[in-house]
Amino acid sequence: MSLVVDYLRELFRAARDGWNRFWFTPSDPATLGLIRILAGAMLLYTHVVWSLGLEAFFGAHAWVSPAAAQQALAMQDGRSYAWSYWWLIESPAALWTVHIAALVVFAMLMLGLASRIVAVLAYLAAVSYVNRLPGALFGLDQINCMLAMYLMIGPSGGAYSLDRWLAARRAGTRLPPAAPSVSGNIATRLIQIHMCVIYFFAGLGKLHGESWWYGDALWGAVANLEYQSLDVTWLAAWPLTVAVLTQVTVYWELFFCVLVWPRILRPVILSLAVPLHLGIAFFMGMITFGLAMLIGCLSFVPPSLVRRVLGGATLEPGGAGQGGAAQEVLPAARREPHSSGRSPRLRRA
Amino acid sequence: MKPRTQDRRSESTTRRWSPRVRALVSLLLAWHLLALLVGPWSVPRSVLADALRPIYRPYLEAAYLDHGYKFFGPDPGPSHLIRYDVLRADGSHVRGVFPDPKEHWPRLYYHRHFMLSEFVNSLPPDGPPDPRVPWERQPLSKAEKAYVRSYADRLLDEFDGKRVTLELVEHAIPAQDDVLKGMRLDDPRLYRTRSLGAYSKEPK
Repeated sequence: MSLVVDYLRELFRAARDGWNRFWFTPSDPATLGLIRILAGAMLLYTHVVWSLGLEAFFGAHAWVSPAAAQQALAMQDGRSYAWSYWWLIESPAALWTVHIAALVVFAMLMLGLASRIVAVLAYLAAVSYVNRLPGALFGLDQINCMLAMYLMIGPSGGAYSLDRWLAARRAGTRLPPAAPSVSGNIATRLIQIHMCVIYFFAGLGKLHGESWWYGDALWGAVANLEYQSLDVTWLAAWPLTVAVLTQVTVYWELFFCVLVWPRILRPVILSLAVPLHLGIAFFMGMITFGLAMLIGCLSFVPPSLVRRVLGGATLEPGGAGQGGAAQEVLPAARREPHSSGRSPRLRRA
Repeated sequence: MKPRTQDRRSESTTRRWSPRVRALVSLLLAWHLLALLVGPWSVPRSVLADALRPIYRPYLEAAYLDHGYKFFGPDPGPSHLIRYDVLRADGSHVRGVFPDPKEHWPRLYYHRHFMLSEFVNSLPPDGPPDPRVPWERQPLSKAEKAYVRSYADRLLDEFDGKRVTLELVEHAIPAQDDVLKGMRLDDPRLYRTRSLGAYSKEPK
């Protein structure tokens, strides 16, 4: 009996320590800064494209009228909690003013100017656009809003931003890299977890279908004329290749949430994301969606690697390492007993 | 010497969070992490989602998190386009289809129009469809009517039309064997059409 109690106690301690280490270890905002630049650029581009048909999509005679949109949103039981400031805007002048203001916000997010404020505004703006337009949306909008949401949480302007550049200019000296932060770690961790959820359910959803099991689903994707941007129908002569690619897609999506965490496997798993998403981007014409997913995958790239690749600043101590092993890079004096990996008791065991 | 503002900032960001703050944030994280699962559990419907949706729905909808993430699942299916014929006051016609890769550029703009036509096909019927009525002659559901009316109004406004006729065109995917035998992706046998009705300008 005491064996079971000891085990449960040990289990509880390990879970608590693991939870604390995973979420509350300060991390270098370099990865978050890189995600901010790319997600900000994607948000900016996505919304610049709305400019081509701003009145057609958001005006008084929009494709999706306010009545149709409200009905779609409240389809379940006549109620909806989806909000949008676009419901309040009717005149073309106001439409363009608010739209241009949103574009400025997305550009500022990309550049990292007043990052903490514009991160919040960017999320509110992005959600307002999508909630106004049920019917014109796809996966890109989900990833855009997801990234914008988590960029609100951490100091995304702590690296590679105009905020840093301006602070250095004001100080008249080169600033050291931004200090590691817990909120930055939480933001990055949330993107990681959300990506795992997306891939897992994307894989699980495919198991409902016959074609993913049978092995010709990829053919169904590439032979769809409306999606097709590069003709790869020569694959019809290569059914075994189609089947292997179909199966690899399903298994990769299903097991991403497990295999991406061990550091030794992470480069392999992340590098498989590149052909998958670039394939979606260039063969199926969904360049924005493919790239947005790759931006989400960047959350698994350790800040140290980001700094090594982008340069411009020295490596600093701290950082979650994005692999749950922050204690390896944190100086011992800065560690907390409750968040520094295994408990002494476990270590003894 | 480091600037003073930088020192203050560094202190605040590196300071470890107290157990109380960590506990509170942990509760928020647990709430959010469970929320991430409710959307996917809802498509298709599940007992777990039915139990959790009433609690989570306001959060999911307000934060735009209510997604199934079933990309190209369960099976990649046919695509849907909308064909229109606008009759103008002078008796001329404007005929077209959306999405149209020649008209809608860049690709993201094309995709926005593509989703409009796909969405009509994804709207739920009012009840179980009558198996005796073929897809081509299925009546419009209430949700479909609202969207089709909206598209019709948009086209009437854009082309200054008197009346517009709309059709939903379904484009099936050919089998690998058929393509090997020479079938093109735009072979007429791959298309079928469902009437979405004719609409006139509503009096203001």
